[in-house]
Amino acid sequence: MSDAAARAEPSPPDRNGDDYNSASITVLRGLEAVRKRPGMYIGDTDDGSGLHHMAFEIIDNAVDEAQAGFATRVEVTLNGDGSVTVRDDGRGIPVDIHEEEGISAAEVVLTRLHAGGKFNQNSYKVSGGLHGVGAAVVNALSEWMHVRIWRNGVEHLVRFEHGETVQPLTILGPSEERSGTEVTFKPSSGTFTKVEYDFAVLERRLRELAFLNSGLAIALKDDRHVPAQEVLFDFKGGLVAFVEWLDQGKEPLFRPPINVTSKDQEGIRVELAMWWNNTPREVTLCFTNNIPQRDGGTHQAGFRQALTRVVAKYADDLAKKEKVELAGEDMREGLTCVLSVKVPDPKFSSQTKDKLVSSEVQPVVQAAVADALSHWFETHPKEARTVLEQVVLAAAARKAAQLAREKVGRKNALDISTLPGKLADCQEKDPSKCELFLVEGDSAGGSAKQGRNRAFQAILPLKGKILNVERARIDKMLSSAEIGTLITALGTGIGPGEPAKGGFDANKLRYHRIVIMTDADVDGSHIRTLLLTFFFRQMPELIERGHLYIAQPPLYRAKRGNDERYLKDDRALEDYLLEKALSGATLSLGDGRALSGEALRAEAEALRQVAARIRRLAAHVPAEIVEQAAVTGALTLDPERATAAAAALVARLNALALPAERHWNATHGEAGLQLWRTVRGVTERHALTPTALRSAEARWLDERREALERQFDEGAVLALDGAETPVQGPAMALERLLAQGRKGLTIQRFKGLGEMNPEQLWKTTLDPAVRTQLKVKVEDVEAAENVFSTLMGDVVEPRREFIVDNALKVANLDV
Amino acid sequence: MAESAAPPQRPARPYPRPCPVCSKPVAPDQRFRPFCSARCRQIDLGRWLAGDYAIPGEPPESGPDEGE
Repeated sequence: MSDAAARAEPSPPDRNGDDYNSASITVLRGLEAVRKRPGMYIGDTDDGSGLHHMAFEIIDNAVDEAQAGFATRVEVTLNGDGSVTVRDDGRGIPVDIHEEEGISAAEVVLTRLHAGGKFNQNSYKVSGGLHGVGAAVVNALSEWMHVRIWRNGVEHLVRFEHGETVQPLTILGPSEERSGTEVTFKPSSGTFTKVEYDFAVLERRLRELAFLNSGLAIALKDDRHVPAQEVLFDFKGGLVAFVEWLDQGKEPLFRPPINVTSKDQEGIRVELAMWWNNTPREVTLCFTNNIPQRDGGTHQAGFRQALTRVVAKYADDLAKKEKVELAGEDMREGLTCVLSVKVPDPKFSSQTKDKLVSSEVQPVVQAAVADALSHWFETHPKEARTVLEQVVLAAAARKAAQLAREKVGRKNALDISTLPGKLADCQEKDPSKCELFLVEGDSAGGSAKQGRNRAFQAILPLKGKILNVERARIDKMLSSAEIGTLITALGTGIGPGEPAKGGFDANKLRYHRIVIMTDADVDGSHIRTLLLTFFFRQMPELIERGHLYIAQPPLYRAKRGNDERYLKDDRALEDYLLEKALSGATLSLGDGRALSGEALRAEAEALRQVAARIRRLAAHVPAEIVEQAAVTGALTLDPERATAAAAALVARLNALALPAERHWNATHGEAGLQLWRTVRGVTERHALTPTALRSAEARWLDERREALERQFDEGAVLALDGAETPVQGPAMALERLLAQGRKGLTIQRFKGLGEMNPEQLWKTTLDPAVRTQLKVKVEDVEAAENVFSTLMGDVVEPRREFIVDNALKVANLDV
Repeated sequence: MAESAAPPQRPARPYPRPCPVCSKPVAPDQRFRPFCSARCRQIDLGRWLAGDYAIPGEPPESGPDEGE
């Protein structure tokens, strides 16, 4: 500031004039002080803020006239010569002679520091200018200033240079203009390093003033360049319109904004408009007597207290449900608010008025806002709900960021010393050659650690934590520690932040093949669903880049002597058994074909198709009966065939039964196929309902009834190792073949990975030369995420049903 | 088990589907898929890290099995 003061070279006042009297000396000293240290009065003279403050001072005086109810229009013009003109249609500065000073009141106001109407609250109840120093300070720092005053239809003019009167107030004559004031001044280039006004800065402030003073029209004209630029601000909506304007292009949670206008309380008036939008940013603008407080103050504190108290009260239940603690900042996420107070004689922490310190304002604002907000929450339950949900989500987001810092090592992700102790890392350091197995359970983890190739395979055992919820059911989850460990092991960091600060970066992945290895049971599928969902939601790039795999550990081991086979699932086991059985088998069918070798292999495949459908239909009826119904064409809804088919089925069932038990009867009608027999006084009944007969399986089998009848009606014989046995149906034939395949084999079913020893795990699941792994694709995971979302749903009842209905589907979640 | 006896897999819900956190619709080309925003993804992360996600299991068969 001293630099600025040094550069300022105030023109010496005219000391030779006759009017140089003792009364003026004080005045000159005052203005001298302003010119010597302009920064103290007007702000920075180098960065442009002081320069703009010059205009704002004069504009504020005009707006004060409007606030007092005397002006409706203010015009601001940037002139080509670098001067600024501010004109209002207010009362006009008083022109009568000031009793004490002996000069016109206008000259007093414009040349005397601390003169003016604003210390006397009768003229201006509240005002925003610099307590009356304003106009005189601007005058002192202007090369020249011309002021025209219209009062009672007479136009007056007074002119100054460097704050000194060069033309005392003169009557120019009658005018059509009834009243008003027009001040034109040219900021002194001796004081201000930069004397060029910024249109945008003025525009912003004038718009603000127009919003704050609803009904006041403010025009801004820039005549410095051609073509001239002009904007007019005239807002009837006041603060509500201000809030709507601030949030243009954003989506508010509700319309219209909450609007508070309090009555005067201890002379203080509170006005406020607010709403929430769907962005995380808060915009709160605070004004005291139209002056913005960048750093808030007591009015803002009162508002925040009220907001916190009211929102906390209404959000309590939701917050408990989400398990979060609400903080004031959560309630202000997405908040756009304009708070304007009118306070007589406000006190600020500094000359620039960036912070209001008047303590009496706080309780008044708090009470007014709390009342109005409570009322709004009570009367707008639907809108209130969306606000509260957003507040709770904001708290959840904050909690998430905090947890990410706590649970995941936020140091250098590649720092080996921070790797979790549970991780058995590999020796290779090139990520493209490294594999990480996520293994469920400690025992399997132990086997995997021993069985792996430690050169390039790392093992991370994950335990699915079991949660006993109110002793009603057992929930499966991955504990927070497990998730944290996983993230740390991967090395990618997590979340939206900068990678250097721990945010997610796929390029930091330490293993380019991540393999989920879980048991083939329901628990395993739950852990797998959790992991897939976690990757999909939090690290989708890893899936998109093809880094995620699912291991295919075997479900069976079949052993004969030294020969052992590992088989992935039931289907693979059947294939293997058939392969063994087919070598010495011949199937002679009723249609005359005798099949062996390749032909039998092909036929076995057909048998499997038939048998699978019989099994599915056999949920409530013995499979033998369904099989015979298929062979006799009784799986029909055709009334023309039904009776004959039922008779054929009865004949066949009786033929297959023991002689004493051949008492089958059947009807086939609207109630479907009914079967019964009474043996030794006990009646046995079965029914294939019309629904079952309409099923895809029944129709599929019925379409093939003629072939099945030909093949199995009579004389189908299976010869195995020379021994012949008659077979009465396709399922029976298949079962015989499988039984033959099982002969001499020891079949072990692995209930979990933990049942495999390290060597077995290596040669089935870990060894890249023999293993199969499924690469996870985004589409697959979207389906898994679906299951997960449904499982996580809020509504308990449908969820229970879903689980019962889909237990199998979840277990078999094929990816 | 013979043939593809497993029931057909539930197809992925078609887009736009609801954001798992706030239920707002999410377009398939959304950057934060399956979430509507970075913030909802962040909230989801918080739930993982707080251990809030658990797959509901079956009722215990005999007495409570305390896990871990």
